[in-house]
Amino acid sequence: MQLHTGLASVFPRSEALVAATRDFDRGRTSAEALEELYARTETEVIALEERLGFDARTAGYLRWQDLFRPLAETWDGFTVGPVTRWFQTNTFFRRPVLHTPPERRPGELAARLPKPLTGPGVAAAKVLLPGPYTFTGLLDNRSGEPDSALIHRIGRLLAEEVKELRGKGYRTFQFQEPLLVDRPPEGVAAESVLAAYQSIAHQLSGGTSIVWTYHGDAAPVAPLLARLAVGVVGVDLAETEVAKLPMALEHKGIGLGVVDPRTTLVEDAGEVARIVRAVRDRLHPSSVWLSHGAPIDLLPWEPATRKLHVLPAARQLLEGPDGGGR
Amino acid sequence: MSDLPLFPMQEIGSLMKPRWQLLGQRGEPLDARALDELEIWEKRLPLADGPMAATVKALRAGRPREAGAEAVRDLGALFALRFFESVGLHRVYDGEARRIEMYEHAIRQMRGFQFQGHVRSFDNKYYLKAAGTGEIRLERPYHLEEFDFVQRHARATPKIPITGAYTLADWSYNEYYLSRTTGWKNRATRRSAQREFVVEIARQALRPTIAALVAAGARVIQIDEPAAGTHPDEADLVVEGFNAATDGIDAEFSMHICYSDYRDLYPALLEAKRCRQWAWEFANRDFEDRDGYAILNLLNEYGDPREVGLGVLDVHRDEIESPELVADRIRRTVRILGDPRRLWINPDCGLRTRSLDVAYAKLEAMAKGAQQVREEYEPSRR
Repeated sequence: MQLHTGLASVFPRSEALVAATRDFDRGRTSAEALEELYARTETEVIALEERLGFDARTAGYLRWQDLFRPLAETWDGFTVGPVTRWFQTNTFFRRPVLHTPPERRPGELAARLPKPLTGPGVAAAKVLLPGPYTFTGLLDNRSGEPDSALIHRIGRLLAEEVKELRGKGYRTFQFQEPLLVDRPPEGVAAESVLAAYQSIAHQLSGGTSIVWTYHGDAAPVAPLLARLAVGVVGVDLAETEVAKLPMALEHKGIGLGVVDPRTTLVEDAGEVARIVRAVRDRLHPSSVWLSHGAPIDLLPWEPATRKLHVLPAARQLLEGPDGGGR
Repeated sequence: MSDLPLFPMQEIGSLMKPRWQLLGQRGEPLDARALDELEIWEKRLPLADGPMAATVKALRAGRPREAGAEAVRDLGALFALRFFESVGLHRVYDGEARRIEMYEHAIRQMRGFQFQGHVRSFDNKYYLKAAGTGEIRLERPYHLEEFDFVQRHARATPKIPITGAYTLADWSYNEYYLSRTTGWKNRATRRSAQREFVVEIARQALRPTIAALVAAGARVIQIDEPAAGTHPDEADLVVEGFNAATDGIDAEFSMHICYSDYRDLYPALLEAKRCRQWAWEFANRDFEDRDGYAILNLLNEYGDPREVGLGVLDVHRDEIESPELVADRIRRTVRILGDPRRLWINPDCGLRTRSLDVAYAKLEAMAKGAQQVREEYEPSRR
């Protein structure tokens, strides 16, 4: 069983970056000074990822205002809409409003990826993207196209983005799909989700695709998750009982959200190792990807950093001399 | 309510702080904009002849340090009181003129919390978030000084807003109570730890504060629970927190909830026995199809006889509601609830996001709209 660790969402902004972005909005600091701090903080996130032994690099996606903004601002057909609650949290996103069928503008999304992930950083980079179902379900669709068809259309556009990014050397693509477990698709919508991921799979050419779910129990929707044409399915173990994960997920790569960003309480590495072994014994996954379940930016920078240390600690327990035991 | 007219009016909480207050309490001389603002509002709400004449004079003269930060804050509180009273509200407060916001101020009065840093709310907006890291203890009851000021200066009845236990818990990390559980922290474990957290905040901090306020003369208290609708499966915790915070206290309580699906909160809310009034947001959801108030059928479905503080002003838009629209919203609600005596009229939520001009115009429209309907039901008051 291959074991991977890493980040699965946007990382929190440092306190210095919080102050600088506020100052920028109030006209108290320049764009150049803010840019310099962004670059320095991205380097700090990369250093943290290296220190913790993470397999992939994200640089934190610190400039992204929310998960959808990079697409809503670089694809035609969208405007950025009202502030909307992000699931059952006290955080919010600006709801994209789709007026006409969306069209991507080649090269523009790639330009929004963190700079440390370009050039030599490409091979180790993890590209974060909204999943087609979550993106469709949370936008305000005024395009006239039914949601069920739009899911597939957005899947095809994401596939084009993947194709372009694969051409630049990116290998790992993670699609955020909290809506899949919060409001599981049924009937035609479920078929459209499957078709969307099929489109993406066609453009992967040997790369890795991950679907990451959180903010809900993955067990009821696991049969659908198992049918997705992706290499890894991530579940939030703060919401999902391991014992209830169906055998449909057997032998698939599985992502485990073992760090819970809803609390500052640091998880116990032994407990994390125990639960990973329980998954291994039940589902015999081809690979296990350990991370946080819900987005880590539900925490401030310092407690997020503190909590992530459990991942290498658990990994050491799992890969040590007694790693296969109990 | 016997000496009040039908459809009495109240405010819900915060008001934008005037620029002269913000600059003045920092000891900075007022710029032209702040001076203009002071002059314009002075004409509408005379403050210079009142107990704060010296403070107004110092501000006008560009010497706020002479008055001192506390006196400027006092003037801000008095301004808010007169702002609300001049529109004709029957219950008023100080627009939260002395509070930074509704979470941090309360948490800073308690032991058992540690601030962890900033979490992004959206875009470049953040809030400071604390973790409950130990047993909750109250350093000292809070809001007493501001209430004392309001009580001494208010001409209408004071109604004090206090952030509820559930919201304080939900906007914090629960570390201490979760750490006392064993095994994997699954949903059931988290819920049980959250229940302890909410109830301890209510018992150890909220209740002693409310009791002290009542002992100081507070009669009308609004418990603010904006987080109530965040987790539909925790509606019973909202109620447990409310009941624990008000246990054995004789006062008139209301609960303010906003931007939530109220349906998710029933039937749990029925158990908030000491709550006399629901003060909820509705105007924000009253679109072209005009069904924003239909959700009040819930109260009929569940046989909930409580008063309703009816949000008739959308606090997130500058557009001023017409008195006719306000009147129509009241009439629609009376048709749903039956008894017009159950209604109080108020904005959806605190008006702090609107400019003072917009907030005042909205409140004036609210007063005119309420008067229109009042005359239909009580022609003798015409």
